[in-house]
Amino acid sequence: MSIKLNPHFQDADAFYEQLLDAHGGLSREDAELLNARLILLLANQIGDAKVLKDCIDAARLPAPAISPVTTE
Amino acid sequence: MSETRYRETAHTNGYEFTQGGGYALPEYPFIPPPELQGGPMVRHPVVIVGGGITGLTLACSLARLGVRAVLIDEDNTVGVKGASSRGICYTQKSLEIFERLGIFERIAAKGVQWSVGRTFAGEDEVYRFDMRQQGNFNLSTQPPFINIQQFYIEGFLVDRLQQLGVVELRWQNRLVAFEQNDEVATLTVETPAGRYQIEAEHVIDATGSHSPLRQWLQVPFDSRRGDDRWCIADVRFSTRPPVERHTWIEAPFNENRAVWQHLMADDVWRLDYQMAPNADPEHVSREDVVRERLARQFGPDVQVEIVWVGPYAYRSECVHSLRHGRVFLMGDSAKVVSPFGARGGNTGVADADNLAWKLAAVLRGKADEALLASYNDERLEAAQQNVCVTNRTARFLRPAEGSERLFRQAAIGLARQYLFARSLINTGRMAIANPYTHSRACTYATEQSASRAAGQSVQNVRFSWADGSPGCVNDLLDWAEGDLLVLVFGDLSGAALQRLRRLCFDAPVRSVQVLGPDARPQALEHIRDPQGHLQGACHVFGHAWALLRPDGYLAATGESVDTKLVSAIERSLGLRGEAA
Repeated sequence: MSIKLNPHFQDADAFYEQLLDAHGGLSREDAELLNARLILLLANQIGDAKVLKDCIDAARLPAPAISPVTTE
Repeated sequence: MSETRYRETAHTNGYEFTQGGGYALPEYPFIPPPELQGGPMVRHPVVIVGGGITGLTLACSLARLGVRAVLIDEDNTVGVKGASSRGICYTQKSLEIFERLGIFERIAAKGVQWSVGRTFAGEDEVYRFDMRQQGNFNLSTQPPFINIQQFYIEGFLVDRLQQLGVVELRWQNRLVAFEQNDEVATLTVETPAGRYQIEAEHVIDATGSHSPLRQWLQVPFDSRRGDDRWCIADVRFSTRPPVERHTWIEAPFNENRAVWQHLMADDVWRLDYQMAPNADPEHVSREDVVRERLARQFGPDVQVEIVWVGPYAYRSECVHSLRHGRVFLMGDSAKVVSPFGARGGNTGVADADNLAWKLAAVLRGKADEALLASYNDERLEAAQQNVCVTNRTARFLRPAEGSERLFRQAAIGLARQYLFARSLINTGRMAIANPYTHSRACTYATEQSASRAAGQSVQNVRFSWADGSPGCVNDLLDWAEGDLLVLVFGDLSGAALQRLRRLCFDAPVRSVQVLGPDARPQALEHIRDPQGHLQGACHVFGHAWALLRPDGYLAATGESVDTKLVSAIERSLGLRGEAA
């Protein structure tokens, strides 16, 4: 299995709409929690370790990532 | 995600005694060494520095194989004076090693067996496991885990060493200077009766997380430190909680921070409370504060005897190489981890067991000196793996504010509802027998279809001896007396039988035919494996051979008795090959 970067949605517009609807009326905090829950659920659907890693790499913002802990 | 900067804190890793009744530890006499009585400087094949669980396990393993060594320890007791208990949880692999060393029965009699772990968040249980129903834990003659105070095991090892009489234990002998060259290492040792020097061909640094040798040799290492603080209370109760490991990720009775609850020998419970990062260690370990915390967890009427209290912070460290000239680092000298998952002491025990048979084989002239390089291949991989695993747990238990805490909240919430999310809840991944995936002493199969068994540990499973009496893998290893063991499953052709006989004549190898319940034996040495447990433990199927090392690890497996077996034997004796 390898990361899909070409369209794979059955219905991209419908998904996008459902995603926005799920966020409707949520506070910023609740929206963040919803997103985190959704990411974990979706990740379990994928399962494949290599694809998950590639997805995280592909999603990274262009700015250099900052390590959350100091290492010496 | 924002960067979190941790402020500097005192990192002890050892638990500092603050208060409580403590335990009465055995004391061993100082005996002036012969060097101080005018004897000549002696060159020893092996000098072990440090008599903790790692150093004593190595000493005992060497003694069992008849290898002479000297162990020096700066103290005159086991444990750290005052700080009575460090490790508490010993894995099946460690228990299998202790069985070989002859102290398992005492550990089993004194310690507490457990297999059920339950994890809570808030008032709810998030998930539970029972080790006895997981994998093949129930096939070994040793249980999944025994909890016992570390100093008991150390005391049992000392008693056993005194019985065996091959390794000399020198108490109150402190290493104060060290030098080494191509020929020899020289150790300067201080005792109550004065200073002396000894020479050593091999030096074992088992001095622990404050290793002086590591400083003197300027051994490079990676380090990571957090601001997580904990406070242990070892207590005896009027009422007994269940014999299970309970962990709270967010305990309502501890300001929604983590709590561990675990039983040890003598009806002593270990309660380990996560503190606020800015908590004052002196305050949180004050008796009235500890009693208040216990009352919050167990109710105001709980009757508690406090055995020991110790606040601690942890760090994680891992050296880049376990060997520096004549010095081999092991246990906490090589790596330091947080306590989650029992990956400290158990790793030290495995380090010792790994090097012991190799040193013995080299010193007895049965293997090439090059075999010792595989200690670094195998145990550095294990150290790095254990550091990685425990760092992940530490990060789950003390998430940085922001995204890390958010994802933990999401994972805990999902785990209450859905099975899948329980795998994300990380309150410690229990130590395992680490596999070796790139050791120069193992022969890895290259074919796609082949077994992936090389570098895996074999459990101490049962079989029947030829006369029908019960045996187990450790009995076979005992019988092999430090030689390699070829287990051949199924019938043998006449030619294969010939080749095996010649191999056992030419090399430090013993072979045993492993048969089903009714098959006709062909080899003189044969055993029966009616339920296929031994074959399963060796990860092979049908007609096959397994090359088993004295540490219970597989060096290689294969199908027919041919040159592949010969080269696998050579490789596991350091006679060929570089790191894979």
